[in-house]
Amino acid sequence: MGVTILAQFPVENKTGPQIIEVLSKRICALGATPQGQFLVDCETFTSVPALGHQRTVHVLHNSEQPATVFALLETGTKTIPLVTDGLFDLLIMKMISFYQSKKHTKTESKGPRFEIGDFSVKLGTVNITSNFKGILVEVEYKPCVVPAMCWDLIMEFMQGFLGSSGPTAPPAFLQNRMQEIYSPIDTIQQYLEHFTIFRKSTGPTMVMRPQQP
Amino acid sequence: MAFNGVNISVEAPIENQIQEITYEGVEIYQPPLTLSESLAKYAQKIDFSKTIEADVKKEDVTDENKSDSDSKDAFQSSLWPWDSVRNKLRNAFQEISVLADVLAIAKDKRYMVLDPVPQEPLETKPMVQIYARKKALAGAANVLLAGAEKLKTSQNEAARNRTTPDFHIELLRLRQNWRLKKVSNTIIGDLSYRTAGSKYLQTGTFEVTKAEEDEKLCSPPGSPGGAPPNKPSSALKVSIPSELQGVAYIEVLCQKDQEDLCSASINLLGSGAPSSNPDMHWQQKLEAAQNVLFCKELFNQLAKEAVELQAPIPHMVVGNQIMATVLPGIQLIIALRHSTSAEKKQEKPSPSKSEHDHVLEHSLHQLLREVHHKNTHHPFPHPATGPLGPSKKRMMAGPMAADRYELLEMTKQEKLLEQIVKQAQHFIMRMRTEYVLDTIAKEFKDPLISSHWNTLNSPTQSCVKINISTHGYDAVCRTPLVIHVGEKSLKCICRDGKVMNMSYEPQELRDLIFCHINQHQILAVQALAKTMGWQCLGNSNHLGSGPVEPLGNAASCLLVSPTGDRIIAVRCEPQASGLQVAVAHSPRTDFIPTRLVLERKWEHLGGQFRDVRLDKMEGKNFLHKMELLMASLTSNS
Repeated sequence: MGVTILAQFPVENKTGPQIIEVLSKRICALGATPQGQFLVDCETFTSVPALGHQRTVHVLHNSEQPATVFALLETGTKTIPLVTDGLFDLLIMKMISFYQSKKHTKTESKGPRFEIGDFSVKLGTVNITSNFKGILVEVEYKPCVVPAMCWDLIMEFMQGFLGSSGPTAPPAFLQNRMQEIYSPIDTIQQYLEHFTIFRKSTGPTMVMRPQQP
Repeated sequence: MAFNGVNISVEAPIENQIQEITYEGVEIYQPPLTLSESLAKYAQKIDFSKTIEADVKKEDVTDENKSDSDSKDAFQSSLWPWDSVRNKLRNAFQEISVLADVLAIAKDKRYMVLDPVPQEPLETKPMVQIYARKKALAGAANVLLAGAEKLKTSQNEAARNRTTPDFHIELLRLRQNWRLKKVSNTIIGDLSYRTAGSKYLQTGTFEVTKAEEDEKLCSPPGSPGGAPPNKPSSALKVSIPSELQGVAYIEVLCQKDQEDLCSASINLLGSGAPSSNPDMHWQQKLEAAQNVLFCKELFNQLAKEAVELQAPIPHMVVGNQIMATVLPGIQLIIALRHSTSAEKKQEKPSPSKSEHDHVLEHSLHQLLREVHHKNTHHPFPHPATGPLGPSKKRMMAGPMAADRYELLEMTKQEKLLEQIVKQAQHFIMRMRTEYVLDTIAKEFKDPLISSHWNTLNSPTQSCVKINISTHGYDAVCRTPLVIHVGEKSLKCICRDGKVMNMSYEPQELRDLIFCHINQHQILAVQALAKTMGWQCLGNSNHLGSGPVEPLGNAASCLLVSPTGDRIIAVRCEPQASGLQVAVAHSPRTDFIPTRLVLERKWEHLGGQFRDVRLDKMEGKNFLHKMELLMASLTSNS
């Protein structure tokens, strides 16, 4: 387990598979080996009005941690993360009368997964209820657990195959956690951040470059 | 109708009747009547004797006022199902009233008289009756007498022979140690390890029956004739399925090129191997059968794993034998031996193999027990909704967000065969190490080599401490070494903290010990020189000069006497007795001026070294000789 950085890749009038293919070629040219597929999915539930103040629960799964269910509870003022066993899915099904699934919000990012030395790279196609929304590139540097110590390395690596559209500053979520020890829930928080942006946007053409100095 | 003003409604009270008032004042009401109950209640109130008149009346009434008719109709229709009852009751009432009339007339005795009808008396013969009664009584007396006789004999028997086994007492004893249940008329026992966590499919059921009476009687008379030990005959007989009869054990052999290195045989019953006599006590019989079952399960498990495992040199399973390669050239053979008849007992491998290894014997046994224990004892906590069975680590995997590799690691667990192979490997490694150390200790007398084995060790790791010292000079210099014996490798921690890793080849250890003996000698000479007041000019553990050594490098040191006029050079080669000592004098005691060296002062530059023939010297060992040499050279000045 190491530090993971998630970045959005601009679409620019191309289809999802085209971009994935271009990026796969680039990363393979660097010497990476394909290591199967990955999937991160997110489902959102909102509390019924009878419970009072409305809260939102995002339930996420990551194929990297197959035995784990991540849940993020948004109370409006703060976000409470929860890392649980697979049984949490069943619990959510039981609570359907208190927390109802939001319509058309099932979001997932899936695609090929590569390994190159100490890095693992995942090229994800983001779909919201099977509508293509954009591309997310995840890069994990496995030997390190403190983001501040390896951010420059990751940035350089990402710029190596993403070109100028690679990130130039750490993700907003990690900005004030650069010195802390990185854990899998942090990856999930980054995914949720991007998923929320995608949900607000209307289509893939609207997605702009995330950071442009 | 006359007073129009006030309407009075008559109806049943809303409250139900009170059935009971309890002491604390709670009133218990009667439950309200159901429709059919109230119908029955109303039907009780009907006076059937008046129905005729009522009928007559009704006819009149229907003519008179039509207004009431609908209510009457309702009444009639509701009575309709009771019609047959009413008719029968009416008939009965008629008959009773006729009877009452007759009785009333008869009571007056004026018009009617009741006379008894005379009956013919029965003719009985008193003698026949007496005989019949006598016969019946005699029959009853016989039964009672026979019973009394039986009781008396059994009591006598018990008084005479108090050790006579009782079936029920025996059954009670059996019940205390074995699982029994009653199925219709038979008692079935279970000797499988299933309750202890075994998942072996073969059942171990046995049947308990009462020993036959004549069989029981036959065995005591047998004792004076054949004079066997006075075995208490049992009232119980256990019958065991044929596949569990006899004696079984698991034989573990370590073979090297068809030559046994060691052997161990598992026999749960220890040394006293039970014969499969039919007249064995049930306790021993059951234990033997359980042992057979256990051995079978163990062997089954091992055979399954041997087939499943992907070893570099595949394991072989042939018949009742598993062959696994432990180290190159050494095989581990695990065999199931099961003899069903008493004659076969003689064929058992003779106990000539002195190296009966109790550790391997015990380990196999222990490993399966551990599996059983794990099957029944799940790690806490036991969640009410979660699955039971996964390890504690697996339970924590979800909340700790374990990744795929960690989860994959968790699924791997060591098989029984792998564990026993590892233990066998360690056993052989330990034996080889022991052998090497012992032979070196035997070969070398000059530096003494002593080894101390740690008594506490794990089945796959042990530790030996080696001390190299010279007799009489223990306090001067001592070279300690620690060797960790693993499964396939040795790890030696040297005196200076260096760690040497070695393979399973014993020659490597031998070479290492030789090098250390060599090193010890040089260090000991230096330490001795210090105590003698000599000075060490220089030393090298890895000397570059001289002929190339087949093993390691030669070591040397140069010592100078307190006054500085004598020099001793010691060279030590790792080969056996490779010690060379040379002495030089500067200046030489006798100076003869030559054409080249005119003055005596030039002799201070150092003289020629002359070899010392150590084998001709006095002294018990090398250090002693050196001490004497140094002493003689010092005193000379």
